Amino acid sequence: MEKQLDLLQGTLDMLILKAISLSPLHGYGILLRIQQISNERLEIQQGSLYPALYRLEHHGWIKSEWGESENKRRARYYRLTTGGKRRLRSEAERWNQMSAVIAGILQTTPEEI
Amino acid sequence: MNMWTRLCSWTAAMLCRTRKEREMDEEMRFHIDAHVADLVGRGVAQQEAQRQARVEFGGIETAKEECRDAVGVSFLETLFQDVRHGIRAMLRTPVFTAIAVIVLALGIGANTAILSVVDAVLLRPLAYRDSDRLVTILMNGEGPVSVANYVDWRDQSHSFAAMGAADYWSPNLTGVDAPEHIAGLKVTQSLFPMLGVDPLLGRVFVEGEDKDGADREVILSYRLWQRRFSSERNVLGKPIVLDGNAYTVVGVMPEGFHFAPFWATKAELWVPNAFGARIHNRGGNSLRIFARLKDGVSLTRARAEIASITARLEHQYPGTNRDAVMTPLKEKVVGPVETPLLVLLGAVAFVLLITCSNVAHMLLARAATRQKEVAVRSALGAGRGRLIRQFLTESILLGALGGAAGLLLAMIATRALLATSPANIPRVQTVSIDLRAALFLFSATSLTSVGFGLAPALQASSVNVNDTLKEGGRGGNEGVRRNRLRSLLVVSEFALALMLLVGAGLMIRTFAALEAVNPGFNPHNVISMIVSVSGSKEEDPGRRELFYRQLLERVRSLPGVQAAGAINHLPLAGDLWGWHFAIEGRPKPRPGEEPGAVYRMVTPGYFSAMRLPLVRGRDLTEADNVTAPGVVIVNEQAARQYWPGEDPIGKRVCFVDDTTNPAAWLTIIGIAKDAKQDSWTDKATPEAYLAAFQNHDYLGDSGTEASKHMNYITLVARTALDPALAASAMKEAARSFDRNLAITQVVTMDGVVVEANSQPRFEMLLLTIFAAVALVLAVVGIYGVISYSASRRTHEIGVRMSLGATRGDVLFLVVRQGVWLAVAGSVAGMAGALLLSRLMAKLLYGVQPTDPATFVVVAIGLGLVAMLACYIPARRAMRIDPIAALRYE
Repeated sequence: MEKQLDLLQGTLDMLILKAISLSPLHGYGILLRIQQISNERLEIQQGSLYPALYRLEHHGWIKSEWGESENKRRARYYRLTTGGKRRLRSEAERWNQMSAVIAGILQTTPEEI
Repeated sequence: MNMWTRLCSWTAAMLCRTRKEREMDEEMRFHIDAHVADLVGRGVAQQEAQRQARVEFGGIETAKEECRDAVGVSFLETLFQDVRHGIRAMLRTPVFTAIAVIVLALGIGANTAILSVVDAVLLRPLAYRDSDRLVTILMNGEGPVSVANYVDWRDQSHSFAAMGAADYWSPNLTGVDAPEHIAGLKVTQSLFPMLGVDPLLGRVFVEGEDKDGADREVILSYRLWQRRFSSERNVLGKPIVLDGNAYTVVGVMPEGFHFAPFWATKAELWVPNAFGARIHNRGGNSLRIFARLKDGVSLTRARAEIASITARLEHQYPGTNRDAVMTPLKEKVVGPVETPLLVLLGAVAFVLLITCSNVAHMLLARAATRQKEVAVRSALGAGRGRLIRQFLTESILLGALGGAAGLLLAMIATRALLATSPANIPRVQTVSIDLRAALFLFSATSLTSVGFGLAPALQASSVNVNDTLKEGGRGGNEGVRRNRLRSLLVVSEFALALMLLVGAGLMIRTFAALEAVNPGFNPHNVISMIVSVSGSKEEDPGRRELFYRQLLERVRSLPGVQAAGAINHLPLAGDLWGWHFAIEGRPKPRPGEEPGAVYRMVTPGYFSAMRLPLVRGRDLTEADNVTAPGVVIVNEQAARQYWPGEDPIGKRVCFVDDTTNPAAWLTIIGIAKDAKQDSWTDKATPEAYLAAFQNHDYLGDSGTEASKHMNYITLVARTALDPALAASAMKEAARSFDRNLAITQVVTMDGVVVEANSQPRFEMLLLTIFAAVALVLAVVGIYGVISYSASRRTHEIGVRMSLGATRGDVLFLVVRQGVWLAVAGSVAGMAGALLLSRLMAKLLYGVQPTDPATFVVVAIGLGLVAMLACYIPARRAMRIDPIAALRYE
């Protein structure tokens, strides 16, 4: 297994939004989904997941309701709100721009200057 | 998210707090359980899976706390929590809490009270319109000027928008139930418009009302209106009888209006001042002049103009007009009390500094003892911010409690201050608790308590939780640094306390010196009162002398009365009239350089009633009447000054300008001991005692303007009985002649002396209180530091003792530390006191600001107290059982 990467500051929220944009998930499910789509390459502090969820819900970007989990236990499921969708779009856009800029900088060779 | 949804979420969150908590719990438990199930599914053992899941999740409590923060509802909730916790913490350490609150209350209370007084007396502008443009013109900056000079200045100057003048006038209010002698002023018409204060009722004087013959209007003060006219609005237009003449009330001034702000501060009524023939008088000085500077005219320019006019007048009329000094009105009013109040303010600032430093190091000491608690809490998941907030809440609670107690104390202290303050402090009646001052002091102490209260929380991040928990709360080397800060605080407290003690010591010595002053007379068991014949049938010149003589006879026959006499003005309490005189056989001196003396009108019996001894010669007798040759008694100072090397007895002097009248020459018959006349600490000045029964002005038959003012006597009686009883008997005796006689200012001579010394007594009292507070605080400080550090060194002391240190060694070890602090503080304090004590030189009497005795006594006393404060923890340390100390530490 490759070395896990620490999550960049501020990106957890975006990843959560993305994870539940695919389908409603409970907290543990979000963790698994992120690990799965990142091929286990991202390290997420599990304890910090919940404050992030509460924060997002408080902002109105996600909504929670109690449902039943695959193993028949009561679990809280989160899904994206319309505001959350907008938020995810703008966050993703910002991220893409940012990464493009940074990638551009990093690829710069001495000849280009 | 808009406000509404935010509010909804917040309210919902508040309402279903417990459900939220439950759900949070359940959600996280679900997470861990699911994780465990996954791990078990992958073949990890159940127990190991549970451990791993928990470790990977991290601090559950931390996560929950962050969740609560994320939702944002927790602010009020945590506030309640913190307040609850804070109150519990305070109750757990009641002694600490009580001391901290007392310290804060003393600091805030005393400071607020003094600042309130300083603000009302010194800082607030006078209660007149644009009062900073008002000035006063007086001889030498204090004495009155003549009418003619006033008129010249008024007419010839251009620097002033207005100029007015006032004469003191205290008429009898008669034609009412109880006749009363009322302090008042005769003012020029220009004066009230110049002050710019609107009357509450009616109007102020209008143009022409101070012309001769048109001066029978009166304006009342609010208090007089309340007291004598039951606050009735229809008093306007009514006539009242003052000194036998009818005056029409034209106005009532509002509450809080006082004029004059100095000298005649008790004036309660104002009438127009018609100058009459006095308009040409350059000799009789009685007017105080007030003026308003024109816009754009500087004080310097106005001063220069007055100086040039005065110089011109001096040239024109030699001997008059000298030394006219213009002073801003406020400076004139507050100038005399500025130094004492600023000294007190300084003392109070010291107390504040000591308070703050004491609170600081008490909190630092407590922080050390709470290190373990902090470690436990942060191990349980309390974040740094959360800890800071909690300690902040505790500090603010403490500050609020101290502030509330301080405010209460300030109210009591202000009232006590006003009750004991000398009557001669201007504007003291306007003092009220200054909320700005209270707020300022509250913030100062709160900042301190917050600043130092936060120490344990801030430190939490730097403390290794594991180490602290393991070592059972014994911190590492950070204690040394903190202890150094605390030591520094104690040293500065000691320095400040020493300075205050020196100040108090100097005032105590001053007061002792004042008590030792011999006033020349014996004030004990002497009662005096002013009896005014004005407006009564005894005012009649034909009856006055007989009335006075009969009154004195009746007073002398009262039970217990040993001697009785009368004088025009009581020494130390009454007015002070001076006059110049000519000495027979000497060349006429240049104008303005004539010999002068304080002159008193006395009757036979005055000297024995006051026990004012005659050094030589004889006392006045009943035979020294209008038909007998004029006589006078002078004091020793007059004899020394005007007849050096000669015997003044038998020499003749003349107190009137017209020396050609042989009846005006008075023969000196006796020399009296010097008596304090104006103020308790004045050097002796020349005095002359004229026979009242030989003076036509006094007997009312001279027909001059002066005789109208000399229509009262001050009875003085020495009694073997309770002076209060004698006083009522004397009043009754006077009233039995005529119920229309106004009797005022019933005082004992002892009371007069106390009043004369009230200012230094007041200053001594306050400085002593402040110094005592400072001393207590400094002792609490040094005790705290030493006992704390001794308790921290229990282990070390145990080791030393088991290695053979004696109890004496231990005592020395502990006390040495305290003595060092005390010595360092005292040295710094000495230096400070040497520098600062000269600032209070003006308050001192009979003692130098650098009085060695005071310094030495204070330093030694403070040192002893410090040793005592160290001895208690040292004795505790001596009793340490080395075995126990080593085992448990």
